[in-house]
Amino acid sequence: MGSSRLRAAGDWLEQRLGLRPLFEGSAGHLVPSNASSWWYVFGSATLVCLVMQIATGICLALVYVPSADQAWESLQHLDFEQPFGWYLRGLHYWGSNFMVALMTLHMIQVFLFGAYKYPRELTWLCGCLLFLCTLGLAFTGQVLRFDQNAYWGLGIGVSIMGRIPLLGESLTSLVLGGPILAAETLTRFFSLHVFVLPGLVITLVVLHLRMVLHNGINEFPTRGRGVDPETYDAEYAELIERTGEPFFPNAIHKDLLFSAVVIGSILACAAIFGPKLPNGPPDPTLIDTVPRPDFYFLALFSVFALLPPYMETFLIVYVMPVVVLALFAIPFVSRSGAKHPADRPVAVAGVVLVMTTVMTLAVLGLSSDWSPHMDAWKSVAVPVEMVEGRSPLELRGAAVLQAKQCRNCHALDGSGGKRGPDLGDVATRLTEDQLIRQVLQGGGNMPAYGKNLSPPEVAALVAFLRTLSPADAAIAQNSADPLGG
Amino acid sequence: MSAARETRRSRFRALLAVSVVVLSACDSLPGKPDPADRYVRPDAVMDFETLFAANCTGCHGEGGRQGPAPLLGDPLYLAYAGPRELRRIVSDGVPGTSMPAFLDEKGGTLRAAQIDALVAGMQASWGMAGRFAGRRLPPYRGTRGGDAGLAYARARGRASFQIFCAKCHAAQGGGTPKAGSVFEPSFLALVSDQGLRTAVVAGRPDLGMPAYYAHAVGRPMSDEEIADVVTWMAAHRVEFPGRPFSQAAPFVGKEP
Ligand code: HEC
Ligand code: HEC
Repeated sequence: MGSSRLRAAGDWLEQRLGLRPLFEGSAGHLVPSNASSWWYVFGSATLVCLVMQIATGICLALVYVPSADQAWESLQHLDFEQPFGWYLRGLHYWGSNFMVALMTLHMIQVFLFGAYKYPRELTWLCGCLLFLCTLGLAFTGQVLRFDQNAYWGLGIGVSIMGRIPLLGESLTSLVLGGPILAAETLTRFFSLHVFVLPGLVITLVVLHLRMVLHNGINEFPTRGRGVDPETYDAEYAELIERTGEPFFPNAIHKDLLFSAVVIGSILACAAIFGPKLPNGPPDPTLIDTVPRPDFYFLALFSVFALLPPYMETFLIVYVMPVVVLALFAIPFVSRSGAKHPADRPVAVAGVVLVMTTVMTLAVLGLSSDWSPHMDAWKSVAVPVEMVEGRSPLELRGAAVLQAKQCRNCHALDGSGGKRGPDLGDVATRLTEDQLIRQVLQGGGNMPAYGKNLSPPEVAALVAFLRTLSPADAAIAQNSADPLGG
Repeated sequence: MSAARETRRSRFRALLAVSVVVLSACDSLPGKPDPADRYVRPDAVMDFETLFAANCTGCHGEGGRQGPAPLLGDPLYLAYAGPRELRRIVSDGVPGTSMPAFLDEKGGTLRAAQIDALVAGMQASWGMAGRFAGRRLPPYRGTRGGDAGLAYARARGRASFQIFCAKCHAAQGGGTPKAGSVFEPSFLALVSDQGLRTAVVAGRPDLGMPAYYAHAVGRPMSDEEIADVVTWMAAHRVEFPGRPFSQAAPFVGKEP
């Protein structure tokens, strides 16, 4: 009795709202049964992340103060005073990490399965735009942390933009709200992160989904079968006819399960690893930290750090736009033909190559050996075994090594900066003359110290460096002087 | 009072207990930021250990011992130098040597209050105020005679060096297997007279050099002997030390 009354109420509502066709055109649409695969879950999981980001983002915006002098403080408040404020920040932080990672997986899957080919070219294009917007959200979000990483990261980002010919200067002041980083900068990034980019993303997601529905989900690729734009539509219609099943409630269960795992992982990561604490406040006079971006930009960070400076402008102005355009152009260049990855070895090799490069660069970025260790000279001790048994002159040499901040770039047996070579065994590599020349004239990326060291300082420094050899190794000698000297 | 109401109440209590446990467990989740990780501006750090580790270990070694720069983590040294001298040296540095000035007004990175915290911390952690309470230590600053006195002082210093120091440092320079030369012109160019005096008084027990009272000779050095030995070492300074670079010039000491 109860159920029939419910049904009557439902029918009454349906008559007025007309939801059924909407449902049949969306969640209830038919998908090829072979598309209900574990490979197809990344897109929906990315969407789930987006929803979580919006929810946690709204909560964060309740506390966050987008003003240059209070932003940093308000995050401190969330992290340390507000109950569970840290957890909220953790969720948003890990949500963004998962979102970027899942989106990348989704793109790789779509690429490998040839899903971008006819008739889904625009779906791919729209996806690429979504990818860029998401990276934009990640970057602007990082800036909102408004700590030293943000400060220096933004500085680097802006100097990248400044290199763009003609437009550079106006773009810079558009982004910064002036020629330098200031209060206006933060409010701009806030409105980008909270209004502009999410608005764009939502619009693009709607378009993206509309196209997925309209063109149907890509069928699971079959070996040896490609896309022929002439016949594809008929083939797809036939496939749906034969094997179609409604997405909801049939095909959706894998997506639901995977999304649940993703949500669980985000909850767990936030609980176990917590949020990323802002490091020092954005004060250009504090130089005690090594700025390092979040993981999605580590690879780019490494590229810029490792490239010789004269390559940077070239990379920014020419290579980056070309890479983005190439990404957009994929479906127009390879519009038809094989879909199955086994039939497309070059595409697979390309993915492997790109991903290994990006990962390697990111790992390099994680240790960022090229940045000097700014405090090593006064905070990293000279290893005791390099102090014991040294003469008074050699001891002073070690103090000179510290005082002249050589240690910021050079390690002694692994401790200290990693920009230059470890000096722990330098005596086995360089003779006294070579040491003196290297110290006075520099070379190989090392500045010349000739003007900054007095003769006794050079003598003491070289005397100390000459003692740095593992106990069993031979000391480098001048070959013209076999008796040593 | 009905039984149903009773169970409802106990159920409520159980629920309350569970939520308290869950909430407090949440509060100790591993991801919760540790207040100790809270960022402190370098100029707001007042903790002695942190200050010393961040600013001094590079040259003076961990715990102020076994670094290339003078021993600081030593009760005798701290009693002999005293807080006033320590504060002055850390603030102003030692000109002509590798010891930088740390006071912000002098181009350093520490505020006066932080330097006070460092000095107090060194005294509290490594000093033993009581141990030297009754003892008369050599004064921190030595005296130097006039020119005539200087010649005598050098002659006396040479003799005292022979008695107390030559065993390890060799009377003519060049050093012995136990210790290196203290007459190297480049070494002397990079050490202050006060630094030499400190080495003689406090020694480097961390590196095997005895303090002024602990020499194998069987008696402590007198104030005069300390001053004379320093004068004698300082007399080996040369006008152009460290040239040519390839070899610190062999000892050609000026005789008094
Ligand atoms: C038991 C051996 C021994 C004796 C005796 C000794 N020293 Fe030393 N001295 C050392 C050692 C070891 C060092 C550490 C440097 C080295 O190994 O060469 C050192 C270092 C020094 C230094 C350098 C400190 C610095 O700041 O780098 C001076 C100056 C010095 N001694 C002076 C003297 C004088 C003056 C005497 C006599 C009063 C003396 N030493 C007696 C073993 C000795
Ligand atoms: C870059 C190396 C370096 C650093 C960093 C450094 N020192 Fe020194 N320090 C030296 C040298 C070298 C000397 C010896 C100067 C001399 O010859 O008198 C010295 C001397 C001293 C002396 C005087 C010893 C004496 O003769 O009585 C004190 C006290 C001292 N340092 C304290 C500190 C403290 C505290 C810090 C940290 C805030 C520090 N130093 C950091 C190199 C350093």
